[in-house]
Formats: sequence, structure tokens, C-alpha cells
Amino acid sequence: MSTPLIGVSKSILKIKELINHVANTCLNVLITGETGVGKEVVAQSLYAESNRSTKNFVKINCAALPETLLESELYGYEKGAFTGAHRKRPGKFQTADKGVLFLDEIGDMPLALQSKMLHVLQSGEFSPLGSDYEFKTDVWVIAATNHDLEESIYNKTFREDLFYRLNIIKIDIPPLRKRKEDIAPLIEYYFRLYKSEYPDNHGSKPDSDTLAKLCNYPWPGNVRQLQNCIKKQMVLKSWEKIFDELPREHQENIPHIHTDSQHNGTQPFVNHDFANDRSGIISEFVDLSTSSDKLFEDISLKKIKKLASDRVEKEVISFVLEKVGWNRSRAAKILKISYKTLLYKMNEFKVHPPVK
Amino acid sequence: MANPSRLLIVDDNEDILSTFYEFFNSMGYEVKTAVDGFAALKLLRDKSNFFDCLITDLVMPNISGVGLITIVKKEYPHLKIIAMTGYGDQPGALASEAEADVVLFKPIDLFKIENTVTELINQKNDKQEN
Repeated sequence: MSTPLIGVSKSILKIKELINHVANTCLNVLITGETGVGKEVVAQSLYAESNRSTKNFVKINCAALPETLLESELYGYEKGAFTGAHRKRPGKFQTADKGVLFLDEIGDMPLALQSKMLHVLQSGEFSPLGSDYEFKTDVWVIAATNHDLEESIYNKTFREDLFYRLNIIKIDIPPLRKRKEDIAPLIEYYFRLYKSEYPDNHGSKPDSDTLAKLCNYPWPGNVRQLQNCIKKQMVLKSWEKIFDELPREHQENIPHIHTDSQHNGTQPFVNHDFANDRSGIISEFVDLSTSSDKLFEDISLKKIKKLASDRVEKEVISFVLEKVGWNRSRAAKILKISYKTLLYKMNEFKVHPPVK
Repeated sequence: MANPSRLLIVDDNEDILSTFYEFFNSMGYEVKTAVDGFAALKLLRDKSNFFDCLITDLVMPNISGVGLITIVKKEYPHLKIIAMTGYGDQPGALASEAEADVVLFKPIDLFKIENTVTELINQKNDKQEN
């Protein structure tokens, strides 16, 4: 069973209508949107509404595999094509024949494979590794990415011709923070789903105050992050704890909710002896104004290490980029990381060049 | 004109859209407009066989011009199609592959495009009479 596309916002309703109009055309589709917005859910909906729904839906993540492995996964190989190829293996293009091939993270596909992909899309034929023959394939290609492919084209990491061939139907899914009205229906859906999956758990639905708080949170990890929070809540049985675990830097917009423990006057952890440099540094990453019990629950060296290193990395990256006039290849060289890693980190830390 | 020819013009640039609308209207055509391929497809499915000619841009959100042309050629094979593009060769080549009747590159002279429309509609009428 695939997840339905949940939402009542204008943009989701429009996407549903679009899916309904194009599901039977089998034209190439490009789905874009931030990580966690539900690109695969949209691909599944297209498949479910199409006349290919009785055939295979085959997914491959183009970012998860090294180039050679990705190639053999996509096109398959003949026996003896390379060391270790003891027997013939069909590729995804073959398994997906008459069905759907979902190319996730297409923006991360290496350039050499992009040309091969373009050839298959143009000719409808492919050749397994080590084979002399071209095979006909009839797959409906749905691709997805969280990259801005037009920028990738400009940076020469994505082929323009492949972009136009995939971009026949374009479905852009806005981030959750731009469609807050979808948050309540999503909570309702996942709450019910997890309740049925784990009937012994006793999480509670958010009350109206909590819901308002949830709607005000910007959800950088989008629907996937919200899903995880609901799942966690089933176990922790406290929305307060869920909020406490959300990344700090995004919490400034959330109105504070008084909890029972605070009203009861549990001793805050901060005292004057402790208010020195050390607590200053720690308080940047952990809220020291809570009770000691809760504080000890919050302190995880791994989590703090990540927050602290992210903070420093962000500053260093911005610093170097500013010094080199936002020349990203130069900055990558100076920082001794790959160009791709730099783009990834810029995206993750939201480091953007100043708007002219 | 007793029976004005009916045009559907599709472009995500509203300035271009209104310029085309004014121009073809003043030339005696009955004109409808759409801001992207999706809006155009809905209009076409709503009024099948209403239009004589479709003039569409290629790079647009939702359903691109190439997508629209492919769908229209399949569902309404008699509708004549003019594709316009300002994005280099790629989209134009795809539009030809999708069997647009004519592909024009921007900037486009309005009188020239009107000539093309007349030719295409005459072709269509000749075919129907034979």
C-alpha cells in the first residue's frame, strides 16, 4: 500500500488535479522539492492513477550508489561482463518494462550516466553491460530531485538536454512551512496510521495549543520530519519532549507553552556559580534553563557535537565564499572538499550569495 | 468574417500573452489564452474541437509546451500547432519531435506568425474539403 498524497492546501490540491490530468499520458515527469516534502508519494500517486498501475513501480536512488554500480543496476549485465559477474542480471530498465521507473535524486547522477540515460530516453533502447544487443524498453520515467537543476546546468553538473527531456511535466512540491494548512491533516493521517501499526502505544493527538505550535515550526525536514515526530510522540507520550528535541535554531518562532512541571516550580539548573564561560558555551546548544532531569535528558554529546560543528562549518564556509567573491569551485579547493560537498553543505546550512 | 478562426494562445509571460491577445483579436480572430500547459489542457478538454490552432510557448511550469503538444497531437490530431521558444535549440527540437506543425524562435514578428496561422488553417480546411 502506498501513502496517499495528504493535504488541503491550494498547492497540494493543484498537484492532485495535475496528477489526475497527466497520469495516463506517460510523459516524462520531473518532481522537485526540498528533502522530505513527499516527492516519492507524488510519484506513487502518478503510478497508482495511471494505466500502468498493475505493472512494476521500480525505484532507484541515483545518489546512493557509486557510478559503476548505478550503471549495472540500471541496465543490468551479461554473464562475464566484469569480474564477479557470474551470471546474467536484469537491470531496472528491464524490471520496470511497461511500468514505472522512479529515478530518485536524479540531480546527483554522474555526468557519464546522464548521457547514457539521455540515449535511452531518446531511443527507447538500452544495452546491458557486456551485451552486443540493444533492447527495446517501454518505461515511464519519473525523476525527482531536491537540486535546482537549472543551477546545476549552469555549473555544468547536469546536462541541459537531459533536463529538457525530463522536464516535460514538472511538479514542484512546496516546503511544508509554505503550506501550514496541511500540517493538521498530515498529523491526523499519520497519527491514525501509527496507532493502527502500534496499537499498544498511547500517544495523544495534539491539543489546540500544541497544534498551533506545530504549525508555527518551520519544519526544515518537511513531512518526513513531522512524521518522525508523530512516531516519536507515540513512544515518548509527550509533545513537550518532542518540541525540546527539535533543532534550536528553528525554534525562535514558536510561542512558549508553559508546562505543568514549570508551573510546579521545578528547580532550574542555572545558578550563579555556574554562570561563567563554560555555561555560556554550553547554553548555545542546550537550554540550561530547564530542570536538571530534563537537561540531562537533552545533553547528548553526539547531538551537541553535530550542532557545534555545523555552526563552525557554516561560518567558515560563508567566510571563505565571501573572500573569493562566491566562486564556489575556488572555495571548494580552499576548503579541501569536493565541489559537490560544498554545494550540499551550502544548501544544508542555507548559505546563499547576497542578492544583487 | 462570418466564422472567425479560433486560437488558443499559451505563454507563462502575461505581457506576451496580452500582446498576442490584442493583436489577434484586432485581426478578427476569436482568442482564448492560458498561462501554462495545464490551464491550456483544461480549456481544450472542456471545449474539444473548438479551436483551430494552438500557439504555445515551450518552457512553462506544470505541463510544458512539449508536454502539451504531445498530449494534443494524440487527443486532437486535427488541431494545428505553432510552438514558440526563446530557450535555445533544445526545447525547439523536442517540440519538432512531438510533431508541432511549426516551431518559431523568439523574438517573433506578429505579422509573420499571423501568416503562419492563416497557412496552417487553410491547409486544415483544404484537407477537410477533400
